[in-house]
Amino acid sequence: MMNTPQQVKNPSSSLKSRFITRFLGALTKITAEDPISSSSPTRIFQRYRRIKVASNKSMAYSVRSRRIWSRAMLSRFRSRRSAFSGRRSSVKTTNCTTSPPPALIKVTINEKKTAKGGLDMQTDELRELVPGGEAMDVCNLLDETAHYIKCLTTQVQVMRKIVDFYHLSK
Amino acid sequence: MESNAGATETRSNVTVSDGGEVAAFESLQFTDEIHRLISAPATDNASSFTALLELPATQVVELLHSPESVKLIVASAPNVEDFKGSFHFPSNTGLIQKDARFSVFSGEGNNKNDKSNSPEMTSKNSSANLEKAVKSEPAETASSLPLVSDPTVENRNIKRKDREKKVKGSTKKSKPATNESLEDAEKLPYVHVRARRGQATDSHSLAERARREKINARMKLLQELVPGCNKISGTALVLDEIINHVQSLQRQVEFLSMSLAAVNPRIDFNLDSSFTSESGSTMDGGNFPSLVTPLMWPDVQVNGYRQQFQHQWHFDTLKQPIWGREEVCNNYVTPENSLLSYDSSANSATLHANQLKMEL
Repeated sequence: MMNTPQQVKNPSSSLKSRFITRFLGALTKITAEDPISSSSPTRIFQRYRRIKVASNKSMAYSVRSRRIWSRAMLSRFRSRRSAFSGRRSSVKTTNCTTSPPPALIKVTINEKKTAKGGLDMQTDELRELVPGGEAMDVCNLLDETAHYIKCLTTQVQVMRKIVDFYHLSK
Repeated sequence: MESNAGATETRSNVTVSDGGEVAAFESLQFTDEIHRLISAPATDNASSFTALLELPATQVVELLHSPESVKLIVASAPNVEDFKGSFHFPSNTGLIQKDARFSVFSGEGNNKNDKSNSPEMTSKNSSANLEKAVKSEPAETASSLPLVSDPTVENRNIKRKDREKKVKGSTKKSKPATNESLEDAEKLPYVHVRARRGQATDSHSLAERARREKINARMKLLQELVPGCNKISGTALVLDEIINHVQSLQRQVEFLSMSLAAVNPRIDFNLDSSFTSESGSTMDGGNFPSLVTPLMWPDVQVNGYRQQFQHQWHFDTLKQPIWGREEVCNNYVTPENSLLSYDSSANSATLHANQLKMEL
């Protein structure tokens, strides 16, 4: 995990460890809820979505409100939860970290690169990717992007280790 | 401020001309100031060049408006002694040296001005231009002292960044100071910007320049974060790279959560208590084999993590429509089912849990 000199954290309370504890707790909950019977693809899909949400949520909670993107993510979760419980619909409110199909993105980039304000298109792209990016100016956006990338890499690292652990423990 | 600028214009022009007595004399004036500035750290504990520059307010204004002369003088600072020696005006040099000694001992900028004025005023070899220039200087400093404070305050209110960078002739010892002051500048409520030569000095462009420098600094940080971005030049391409990286990271998270969902055993991850594992693998290799050949599935897991995930997302997006359908592929009894089945011994589970703890 990249520890910049500005963030001198106690290793026991580092972002990584906080994320790990939260995520593993969520994982156990999710696996406990599932029936013992063989799971169908739909079950797996539901579990996949739940795990993904749990992963992003754990990361957002580990960062608390220190970052704009985490605050936006948390507010999104809370609003989604309230809406979900209110409507009781199984229609999923899209997890906002899923990006649109990459083919579309590539097309828009190629089209708009020739535009005069070329950098504006990229910053708009970035705004879509980083949660809460719409309300940020470019300077903060770049800051948040850097922290977001760092947290994403931590997330990926931890999840990868868990999956590897599963495969190795055969 | 305009009169100041006008005077400094003439002064700077005079300084640039070569071989003139006036030029040499003017350069010596600045040399004394630079000497005093450089000798100042011997007296105070200022660790940064900014503190050094803060002390004499008037000199800040002068330096602000004649950065090129500062460069010239500071660059030739080691040669000043020789320069003085080759002068044709011994009385002048004598006076200037006395002045220099006065300047070293005096700590106040105002006192310095008075002391420097008197020898200048009494120099006999001054030409008409020189007298005018000299007289204008004390006149400015004396009468415009209250005004001078305003421009300095205004300059301080304008955004500042990397003040030391502009004084290019400064010695290496200011480099560590630069880093400190850079961090200090980030924390100050007002950020100060020094106008470079040939650039507009109105507050708008200064603010824009500071903003642009901030953005460039952050772009550099991002370039370091994103692998493979160091070689790319140009903000648009770098931003593209960053966007790709963020997208690939998000897809990796999705992919890994999918594999966690599929691979998920019934191992309880309660780190405090012992684990209870339930037998049987719950995953029904499912639709993965339909996309990846069964034997390749472990390879995909192993290889994909080592490589870039840019091509792996194919599987992810292709899976989604299949999940949407209600097909149950229970007849896919694939080898990996047996591969992924678990021993249901609690001992091994706890052992693995400890292993996981270690790894994480």
